[in-house]
Formats: sequence, C-alpha cells, structure tokens
Amino acid sequence: MYFSIEEFISEAEKTGKSLSDLMIEQEMKQTQMSFEEVWEIMDYNLKTMEEAVKRSSEGDGVFSPTGLTGGDAVKLKNYRAKKRTLSGDDMLKGVQSALGTNEVNAAMGVICATPTAGASGTLPGVLFTIKDTLELTREQMIRFLFTSGLFGMVVANNAMIAGAMGGCQAEVGSASAMAAASAVEAAGGTPRQSSEAFGMALGNLLGLVCDPVAGLVEIPCVKRNAIGAGNALIAADMALAGIDNKIPADEVVEAMRKVGINLPRELRETGLGGIAGTPEGKAMKQRIFGD
Amino acid sequence: MNNQEKKEKKVINFKSCFDVIGPVMIGPSSSHTAGAISIGIVANKLFQTQPKKVIVKYYESFAETHKGHGTDYAIVSGILGFATDDSRVPNALEIAKEAGIDVEFIEMEGDSPVNHANTACVNLKDGDREIHVTGISVGGGTIEVKYIELDGFVIEPQGTLPILITITEDETVKSRLEAKLKENNIQVNTITRYQNGNKFLFQLDLNSQPSKVLREELLNLDSDSKIILL
Repeated sequence: MYFSIEEFISEAEKTGKSLSDLMIEQEMKQTQMSFEEVWEIMDYNLKTMEEAVKRSSEGDGVFSPTGLTGGDAVKLKNYRAKKRTLSGDDMLKGVQSALGTNEVNAAMGVICATPTAGASGTLPGVLFTIKDTLELTREQMIRFLFTSGLFGMVVANNAMIAGAMGGCQAEVGSASAMAAASAVEAAGGTPRQSSEAFGMALGNLLGLVCDPVAGLVEIPCVKRNAIGAGNALIAADMALAGIDNKIPADEVVEAMRKVGINLPRELRETGLGGIAGTPEGKAMKQRIFGD
Repeated sequence: MNNQEKKEKKVINFKSCFDVIGPVMIGPSSSHTAGAISIGIVANKLFQTQPKKVIVKYYESFAETHKGHGTDYAIVSGILGFATDDSRVPNALEIAKEAGIDVEFIEMEGDSPVNHANTACVNLKDGDREIHVTGISVGGGTIEVKYIELDGFVIEPQGTLPILITITEDETVKSRLEAKLKENNIQVNTITRYQNGNKFLFQLDLNSQPSKVLREELLNLDSDSKIILL
C-alpha cells in the first residue's frame, strides 16, 4: 500500500504507469478482486454520480425536507442559458453539478461519498465539466475516480477526511485536491503535475471550518462544494501551465492534519460556531428542532 | 508539549479506494449517517437476532448533531441489517417501532470514553441476552470498533476493521481460520486470545476484507463455534 503521495508519484515516474493503474493494482492486491470486479464497482459509483446530477437539474430541482436548500442547480442552469456569465460556462457547468449533487444529498437522495457525503459534489463538479471540455471517454472518467482514490487514501490515512475531526478542509478541501490531481491526469499532465495540483488545491482551502447550520449538511455545505470544484479546476490549470506548489504535497497533507487538530471544537462539525453560530443560523436551528 | 500535538500512532483505516470513493449511500453525512449505519451493522452482527430493546448513547459531535444528520434512523437501519443505499434507511425508526423494538437515544455530556468526536455506544437487549459495542466514525463511512461486550467477554480492539471473532470451546478453530485466510492471501495482523471458563474468544485483526465467497466459508467453518466477521 502507498503511504505517501511521493511514493506513488515516484513509482509512476519510474515505471511509466498511470496513477489510475497504480490504484487499480493496489486495490486488486488488497481485496483479491479481479480487474473486472474492481472496475465494475467504480463504474457503479460513476453511475450514481451521473444520476444524482441529472436528478438535480430536472424540473424545479430537488429540495431538502427542511426547505433550507434546493433548486440552486436549476437556477444556475437557467442562468447559464443566458450565455452571459462572469466565470465562464465550463466553470459554471462544474459548479452546477457540484451544487446539484449536494442538493440531492441534503434531500435524502442517493449519492456516492467522495470522500464524504458532505463533500460529494466536488468530484462530480470537476469530472462532468472536464468530460465535455476534454471529451473524456467513459474509461477516462472511471480512471479519474481511481486516481482520486489514490490521493484520497493517503489523506484519509495520514490526516483525516471527517469534518468532525479536521473541519471542512478535510472534506471539501480533500475532495478538491483529489479532483485537481485527477483532472491533471485526464488532461494529459504528468504524475508530478497531478501532485502539484493536489498541493495547491488543498493548500488553498487550509483552515476551512466545518459549521453546518442546525447540524445539517446543507448550509454552507452545498455551496462549499461549488467552491471546491472551482478551486480544483483552477489548481489543475495552474499545474498544467507548469506552475509548481513549492511545498511538497505530503507536507501540505501534514499541515492540514495539524490545522485540523488545532481547530476549536466549535468549528468541527458541532454546529455551534462559524456560519452555524450566526444569529440567523441559530434561528434556523430553533425553527427546525425547537429547544 | 500540547498533548494533541503528539503524533498518534498511524492507523490504517482506509484500506480500499472504495472507502474514499464511496460508499453509495443515502444522505446526508457519511460520518454521521453511513458511519452510523456501519456501527449499527456491527451491533447487528454481534447480536445475530433482532433485539427487543436498543439504547444508543451519543458523545461529542454525535451528541450535538445526530438529529440533523439522521444518525438515529441510520444506526437503527444498521441494527435492522439495512445497507447504506437501502431506500428504507430514512424510515428505519418507524420500521423498528412496527417490529416492536423499543429504541432510546441518550445525548451524553462530556468527552467520549474512547476519545473521539464521533462516538456511539450501542446496547442491544432481548431478555437476558445483551451486547455492548462502542464504535467511532472516522469519515467517509469508515468506522473503528473500540469496545465489545459479548457472551461474557469484554474486548477492546485496536479498532480497525475487518476483525474476525470466534467464540468457541475448541481451540483448533483458530488455526483452521488462520489456515483458510492464509490460503486466500489474507494477512492476519494480530491475534488476541481471551478465556472465560471453558470458552475462548479469538480476535483476528485482518489486513483486508475477505471476498464474498471466502466470507461465507469462514462464517461456516465450524458449526459449534460462533464466528463473526466485522
């Protein structure tokens, strides 16, 4: 098993194998499953993501039982149709998929946790926009997810991916970094560039707190996935342009871990601080759950 | 030196890429919903039949946010044996009530007994039969099991799943399980032996999840012994 990013980047450089291949090999060894079995599970995960995004952008969209979130993916879809956007259509297509997936999550729909449910929109956000931009095949899309998994496992085992342990930097931050690394591979970048993109994306979201209003994975979680997707696309583009992060990716993961354990309890998914602690956030909690 | 600054012993909880890309699940939180389902499933496997009474004690983040995250119906889903993407998950509390299961949730004040933000202690009962299990949710639907009371044994695993447990009067079951695992290239990290009268409990910490076929073979290896794979 790879315990650091540097280990598998060096392995890829030495052998000429893709990062997704290294992940698939490790998975087969670890679980004794065949290539086909492993591939099929990832294909199912991808299908789940596609269905969630599709569902979120039909009709008026999906709404959570609390009424706190929903319908924003459709609003963005309508806005994009006017063809006068500030950040460009590719970016907003990603944002739409990211918002939509997390709206489905908040609405008790079926999603694929990547790496967590609260961060489940970030990867699809990036994947479904670059699918069109780069005309990715289904195989490339599945490989995108394996590469994300390779980076994600290192983060999960060396730092954390739960908001309750390390804040939202561990959830949307990790997801954004995983997506950035995979986007680089999908665009034909080198393994080293993937690791630079990963480091930049995670570094940009260091310190991000986990502060769900009323303890619900809705506000600000849904919109944070939009930022995670956007941040990943920007970091991937920077890496593909040849910009390096200066700080090695593994050291950024360790920095994230340290920031995470030093975050006060109120900012680690207790629903007490940050956005949850605002007067309106507290009033929402009161309206939903009473005393 | 700040205690928190000390790097804890590295624990490899995430052994498969599907631990971070997955599970496919019904919302809203992988730690508080999918993870809670997994803790419930562990309780279900240990108890083996449907309980009459369920008591769940929540600590820290679980205590603060279980209502918002659907942790209550999630943990009960696991106890009822539902998977993370089962459409019955959001209705598990009603389903349990109809099945005559009494369910109680307690928000505990103060720190978790196993020092983790997402801690749930689950107690299942039916008459005199009773089990206790404490699980922590470490993110993305992955859990650790920290404490188990079962059939007169108290064990405190290091936590990382999978764990193979056998309760037996025949000590050779352990070596037969070991041989079967070895044949199938599953590495056993540690084996712990407990004794209570003429009964033994062997806890085998495995490095990876056995395949479906192997799982069946392990669970049916000896009909006189209780064999549980967590």
